[in-house]
Amino acid sequence: MKNNQKRKRRQAKKGFSVSRTEVFKYIVTAAFLVYVVLLLLYTSGSTKSFEEVAGGIESGITTEKLVKQNKQSLKRYYGLNSADYDGVLLYTSKDSISAEEILMVKTKTDRQVQEIRDAIQVRLDQRENNFENMAPNQLKVLDKAQILVRGRFVFFVISEEAQEYSALFTKSL
Amino acid sequence: MLLSSISFILIFLPVTVLLYFLTPRKMKNIFLLIASMVFYAWGNPVYVILLLLSVGFNYVCGQDIEEKRENPAKAKGSLIFAIVVNLLILGFFKYYGFLMQSINALSPVEIPYRELVVPIGISYYTLRELSYVIDVYRNETKAQRNFVCLGLYISFFPQIVAGPVERYADMESSLRERTLSLQRLGNGAMLFLCGLAKKVILADSMGILQEQITGLQIGTFSTLTAWLGCAAFAFRFYFELSGYSDMAVGLGRIFGFDLHRNFNYPYISHSITEFWKRWNISVAAWFQRYVYEPLGGEKCEISRQMWNLFIVGILTGSLYGAGWRFLWWGVYCSIFLLMEQLVWGKRIVRLPKIVQHIYAIVIIFTGWAFFFSPDLSAALDYIGVMFGFGASAVADTQALCYLLTHWLLFVLCIVGASSRGMSILHSFIEAPRSRQWKTVVTCVIYIGIFIISLAFLITGELDVGLFIQF
Repeated sequence: MKNNQKRKRRQAKKGFSVSRTEVFKYIVTAAFLVYVVLLLLYTSGSTKSFEEVAGGIESGITTEKLVKQNKQSLKRYYGLNSADYDGVLLYTSKDSISAEEILMVKTKTDRQVQEIRDAIQVRLDQRENNFENMAPNQLKVLDKAQILVRGRFVFFVISEEAQEYSALFTKSL
Repeated sequence: MLLSSISFILIFLPVTVLLYFLTPRKMKNIFLLIASMVFYAWGNPVYVILLLLSVGFNYVCGQDIEEKRENPAKAKGSLIFAIVVNLLILGFFKYYGFLMQSINALSPVEIPYRELVVPIGISYYTLRELSYVIDVYRNETKAQRNFVCLGLYISFFPQIVAGPVERYADMESSLRERTLSLQRLGNGAMLFLCGLAKKVILADSMGILQEQITGLQIGTFSTLTAWLGCAAFAFRFYFELSGYSDMAVGLGRIFGFDLHRNFNYPYISHSITEFWKRWNISVAAWFQRYVYEPLGGEKCEISRQMWNLFIVGILTGSLYGAGWRFLWWGVYCSIFLLMEQLVWGKRIVRLPKIVQHIYAIVIIFTGWAFFFSPDLSAALDYIGVMFGFGASAVADTQALCYLLTHWLLFVLCIVGASSRGMSILHSFIEAPRSRQWKTVVTCVIYIGIFIISLAFLITGELDVGLFIQF
């Protein structure tokens, strides 16, 4: 209480009237701005069309060991209807004992992002169970799996080059 | 996380309730705040930082306004700063994408922009924050010195996603001290189960029917089908919002808070004015208190009054989502509110009750077409079919088929949307004479409701719902 009065008196003498709470107020406002910039840089999506982003990814990935799946496969592997989304790109491994897989979905609404994430998690758990006995060496590849959400784009990759492919996805946005 | 998700009902809620009751009294608020943050972070953890920053900002602003109370001009400046920052945050996260889309629609050149997912519940918690800083400015409450208490008021998990929007002054005493009892726990659990059943049994089932009908091509369905589609949406939307609201109030009761009921059987209204008072009551009260009254309310000239109502209508509509369709709905409701106030309100009161009710239902249900249609022209086309323009027939076998396959659902919804539903439920509970038997019957009924709701949740796909865009 005394300190507060002293501070107020000191401020009055100097003709300086910015209180500590006021300073905090501006600090938090600045923190908001920094946060928004970081969000835009690291989590925002893109207004680019699905085809443009998919094209960017396809031009950078090695597809020798992969096969591009049709729209019905999303239902088979993930239990989702491709017609519900703006676009779906799915590659799975040609070899049944390889876990390699790439999926990119552009959703129509924000609400769909979570359902895709959930479906990916289920798929990842299934793959881990499958490979546990069949090909334990693939578990290391599964550990490298990455799920990225940028706006309405959801990207999922299981690959030795998961990190590179994720960077490619971010760059394509 | 959603209040109606399996992970919430079977894991989060039991663990939270158990730990809450075991936590020492002094630590209960901290525990609830942590639980609320975990709940909020479940889906998209990145927005927890936004929520915490938002709490921090309003915590500091509240104190700043209070410190400047002796100097009204400075206090006002501080309040305006707080309101502007809060609205800018809401505007940026919720309406920025919509604004850019609208600009791109008009502009000959496509302006690229970065899309952001809308943070869940941002409208609701911004309204709560604004209520806090404005009440502090008006000297209706003291600024909160405890960050945890304010954080809990803003982010309390039962109400963060779908309301109700409690005033800070109404919750302040509960934040300091609240009563916990087994009776409150039981009452809260029963209300929660009623809300859960409304959402997963009635709203989700109606959602499937509504999407089937409203997805049909204009010109391929009859007037009766169009009305069925509209009724399906009306019930879906009502049971979803009121279901979540009941769940929130029930959970609040379990944790010792007395939250207000948000819906008071809006479909039994006899006019749009009455509907407006029964629908999303806490939001309507918020706009009344913080927008309509400061603008002059009903104490000013008629032209000004009209303008005020119009503003409130548009703001209420835009709160439901970032899109023209929500604005059109707001405009539509404002027009009828104005007409009732200025032109035909007094005449309607003289009509038989049943005619008043039919009038209100026709206007309300027609208005929902703006809500579920993708744009204005689609809404007008759909409304046209509802009134016979562009319909394939007045009624056809398709409509009869929908009625025959969904009659029970419609009956349940009609009963559930009136006070009759609760009185039927209570008549079953009160039927036995002894108190013990009443308890047994209550347990059997609510366990039954829980099992059926769970069955719907497990067998059906979880519909996250319409409210999530708020």
